Amino acid sequence: MKRFECLKILASALDPSALVVANVGPISREWNALRPSDANLLQVNLGLCAAVGMGLAVSLPHRRVMILDGDGNLLLNLASLADLANQELKNVVHIVLDNEAYEGGGGLRSATAGKAKLEVIARGAGIGNAYLVATLDEFASVAQETLKKQGHYFIVAKVDQGSVPKLPTLTLDGKEAKYRFARYIERTEGKQILRPRYTHI
Amino acid sequence: MKVQPRAVKEVLQGLKKAGVDFVSLLPDSDFSTLQEKVGSDKDFTYVPVSNEAIGVGACAGAWLSGKKPALLVPTSGLLVATWPLTSLCMAWGLPLLLLIPYRGDIGDAFWLMGPYKDTTEPLLRVLHIPFVTVAKTEEISKAIIDAQGSTISWQRPVAVLLTGETIK
Repeated sequence: MKRFECLKILASALDPSALVVANVGPISREWNALRPSDANLLQVNLGLCAAVGMGLAVSLPHRRVMILDGDGNLLLNLASLADLANQELKNVVHIVLDNEAYEGGGGLRSATAGKAKLEVIARGAGIGNAYLVATLDEFASVAQETLKKQGHYFIVAKVDQGSVPKLPTLTLDGKEAKYRFARYIERTEGKQILRPRYTHI
Repeated sequence: MKVQPRAVKEVLQGLKKAGVDFVSLLPDSDFSTLQEKVGSDKDFTYVPVSNEAIGVGACAGAWLSGKKPALLVPTSGLLVATWPLTSLCMAWGLPLLLLIPYRGDIGDAFWLMGPYKDTTEPLLRVLHIPFVTVAKTEEISKAIIDAQGSTISWQRPVAVLLTGETIK
């Protein structure tokens, strides 16, 4: 199963207002090609997607939050699954595009190439709706179904290594991405995030 | 050592006056009373975490969503938090109020805390996190309000270290 094909399915099924957190590496580049938006937080560094996604989902419970994770990325901070589960969120779809490797780091095997099963770990952490899918049809069925529902879903998609050619370059650094995302939230939520007025100043 | 009851009151008052509405922490003996108060106070969205790196990430997401987060972090947990403080807060320019009971400061008799005198302040400097050290209970609230104003204005984390009579 190709990661890009999975992401295509997600991009076509996802509500335009959904917030997306994706980890640094090919996942962010591919997602940006399919769904460029100020509602994306891309290139979030190793081990931190689930934590950042939790902050978004807890703070904006009426907005859907999709976390696009990698196996190596999640493995660095497995405890975030337990913390997410304990929040009992109704607005999270956590997708792990599991290529069993550190692709951005040269393709060395990750723990999921061995004995680790992330969907089992997720269930053990308290996420009841945790699935493993290995074919595109299965992925489409589970992803499209979960994106219609409220809840906290965790989907591990076993994908091949390798990306697609000629992806557009990601031209935003974190600082510009921050301003764009924060301004987007300000517009869509009617909040002031940047330079709020303080009563003591 | 624990944050003293009067200091807990001052911290809560300072957080509220500063507009903080989201608190993350790893349950820790230094914080136990403060944690109970924050967890049961409807003015705060409370997100307990299993390591402090997750706490920084959660606070980053919260701030980007329009919340005003604070991370309550012990001096040991600050070491755990260095990765996202670098790769999120420094790289993205994200604000974060850090409240740190200063275990390992001079006067802390527990030998295991000794290394944190060597790590805490240099680490904050290396991470470009300005800090204020508060030893008197009545100064806590203002320090928190000032630090919150600075972290938002400067778009980088700012820390308040609690020491002296505030933790015993």
